[in-house]
Amino acid sequence: MHSIQHLLGTVLLLFGVFVICYYLVVNGGYLLLHVLALFELRDDVRDSRWNPPFRRFSSPFYPGIGIVVPAYNEEATIVESVQSMLSLNYPELEVVVVNDGSTDATLDRLVETFDLEAVDADIPFDVPSEEIHRVYRSCTDEELLVVDKENGGKSDALNAGIWLTEMRLFCAVDSDTVIDRDALLSLVRPFLEEPTTAVASGGVIRVANDCVIQDGVVESVKLPKTGLPGVQVMEYLRAFYSGRLGLNRINGLILISGAFGLFQTDAVREVGGYRQDTVTEDFDIVVRLHRHLKETGREYTVDFVPEPVAWTEVPSTRRVLGRQRRRWYRGMIETVVTHWRMLGNPNYGRVGSFVMPFFVVAEVLGPLIEGLGYVVLPLAWYFGVLNVEFVLVFFLLTTGFGIFLSWFGVFSEVWSFNRYDSPWQVLRLLWYGVLENFGYRQWKTLVAWRGLLEYLRGVDTWGAMERTGFSTEDD
Amino acid sequence: MTEVTLFGYVVPMRVILVRVGLVVGVATTVSFCLTMGLSVYRSGKNTRRERVRPDLREELLNRLFADEPDWEGWVDGLSRMERAVVESLLDDNLRELDGREADRLRDLGDALGIPERAGRRLESRNEYDRLQALTWLTLLCRPDQYVDSTFEPQSPRERAAVVTLLQVSGTLPDAESGISMLLDGTNEEFTVFGQDTLYRVARDDPEPLLRRANRSYSEWPEPLLTQVLAVCANLGTSVRDGDLGWLTAALETENEAIRAAAAAALGSFGWNASLRDQLFLERATDDPSPRVRAAVYEMLAAWGDEKALWILLFALVEETHPRALTLGTAALVRRRDRIETDGDAVLGDAWAWSLEHAEYDQLARTPNRDGVTG
Repeated sequence: MHSIQHLLGTVLLLFGVFVICYYLVVNGGYLLLHVLALFELRDDVRDSRWNPPFRRFSSPFYPGIGIVVPAYNEEATIVESVQSMLSLNYPELEVVVVNDGSTDATLDRLVETFDLEAVDADIPFDVPSEEIHRVYRSCTDEELLVVDKENGGKSDALNAGIWLTEMRLFCAVDSDTVIDRDALLSLVRPFLEEPTTAVASGGVIRVANDCVIQDGVVESVKLPKTGLPGVQVMEYLRAFYSGRLGLNRINGLILISGAFGLFQTDAVREVGGYRQDTVTEDFDIVVRLHRHLKETGREYTVDFVPEPVAWTEVPSTRRVLGRQRRRWYRGMIETVVTHWRMLGNPNYGRVGSFVMPFFVVAEVLGPLIEGLGYVVLPLAWYFGVLNVEFVLVFFLLTTGFGIFLSWFGVFSEVWSFNRYDSPWQVLRLLWYGVLENFGYRQWKTLVAWRGLLEYLRGVDTWGAMERTGFSTEDD
Repeated sequence: MTEVTLFGYVVPMRVILVRVGLVVGVATTVSFCLTMGLSVYRSGKNTRRERVRPDLREELLNRLFADEPDWEGWVDGLSRMERAVVESLLDDNLRELDGREADRLRDLGDALGIPERAGRRLESRNEYDRLQALTWLTLLCRPDQYVDSTFEPQSPRERAAVVTLLQVSGTLPDAESGISMLLDGTNEEFTVFGQDTLYRVARDDPEPLLRRANRSYSEWPEPLLTQVLAVCANLGTSVRDGDLGWLTAALETENEAIRAAAAAALGSFGWNASLRDQLFLERATDDPSPRVRAAVYEMLAAWGDEKALWILLFALVEETHPRALTLGTAALVRRRDRIETDGDAVLGDAWAWSLEHAEYDQLARTPNRDGVTG
């Protein structure tokens, strides 16, 4: 009995040492990324504050962009979304709405509003998606194409749109995403400045809850009134202004948000389009592009552009957020498992040798290890191997460092584009940076464990996102 | 707590943790103070500016359309902050307005002392200060400050800004000088603004760019060559002469993006007899890349004469890649009034599909339409 107790004590002690080493490595990595992000942001801010004396809109060099909008049962919002996308400031635009087997009146609304007629010809090439019933063209809007197909999920709908657009680039968006009017003009910049190498670029996603949105334009930026969306604002700022900017500095961007990303159409077709058997198709497609382009020895760039912004509604209840985060976690594991050959493999450049391994250690294992820690602590106390003083100091240190990194993200926001221009809003953001460490962070570790179990059980559902809709000036 | 050995010294764990805690605490406090300080400062500045902005805008527009604007008298009575707001309004309006209104606004720029300040900022060590200065001189059409200075543009952005300034103000001696300034001694690709500047200079007179490209294309890095080819593709019918050997050579390079760009550029040069060489066209339409072949089909359609369209049609009949076939057919459909063919029988689904889309494009552009099927 005594020896078992001794063994358990030793194991727990070793776990403690492992956790300390782990936190040192991961937080060191995060700090490095944040510092890299600061340099990247400095350059981007300088660039964005210089407005060269020419009329961008009349320049003939902007390549055509097809905006691909998958729509499933969106009858309430689809017309407004399409009108908003058709009115974006961009010289050569095509909006491809893919009605993914909606059971409501999504298609009827589109047909009525945009005077659609079915194209009386067969598609002359194969499209890797569920059966396409009809393709519609508008008699009033030359830029609009509507595809009506059998339900096959978001990836399937995106693939139909990508195969049917004739534009050199395509922008994948969610139908409820609100895109800043000039966002595409900025997002396309890497394709103009690196014309032979750019394959993808991603912009910033911001939280639209409680913002005032009128005619598809964000009129007033407000911080959500409730804590859960507020904490997510904090998370988004940290992820975009620290994580992705830092990765961009080393050309190691492996995630472009599905709500707003621009891709070279041919490159995505070449890798077979979006995978239909994954729940995080946006993560998978970028990793697959990296993999394919490295394997074929092509020089390429994947860029992050911090100013173009798209706005999206985030979950406002714990139940829906938990479902979304479990899905993200499952998708993350799926993608990492699918592309495990890239892990630590220098043949895949910095993505293989640094970014993917760090991603696995920090983002995939991080919440699991932390969650395990919360279970081990009472055990260690029970077996008498817990140094309470040390644990408290360690918790305070890691929390303090977490707060510092979160505040770093808020500082980046205030220093750069400052969309939350009231100091009270900034103060609340900083408060959310503190608050998330007490309860929310621990809850996320539970979500990660549940996500892992779901992955192991083979769960592949998306779960519905329940939206409350945007505020307008009339509200 | 235990002790650890660091570089031969035995240090109690407590001391290490306290020190790490101090570092984290200080870093967190500093980031809090910086963030809030900056936020309060920017918010205050914005609020003060936004408060006076509507009145200043109204006053600016009233004076702009008055018989005598008396900019000096107005500016003298403004506070420093108000002047900053007027400068930002001036910037906005100068980018939108042309003609007499723009000329009048430029006098406001003089009254605000912007050209003198811009002239001094040209000596700054910060590139962005110099770029801002050149931008103001361009918006105000005041090249003298640059001409009288010792400033030499260094970066591609500065070169583009200087060429734009000289071109906008009508002091660019000729297109040759503009091309030299943009391309001499540089191997860096252009920004969007730089590429647009190159285009505007070449549009006035394409010859210097074509000569330069003919001489230097093989030394240019691929992105720069692609950008120059994109400029050539947009020169349109203004190109009437020049040695195009470099363009046909670019169509033989390894990089498919360059070959596609070269084909697009060649679309502007259909008059040139040397391009009608059968062997050259055969090689182009047999390119291994479907993307390049599609660009070649566009090129042939852009030439638009009967011979080019027949070559296009024959190439499409042989085409095996569905995407290239569709794109090529769409290009041929746009020229269907110039060639007698039964496209439906020869090109099948691709023809029917492209024709339908061409008709809907036409329909959407036409007022009072009844629909293709109606």
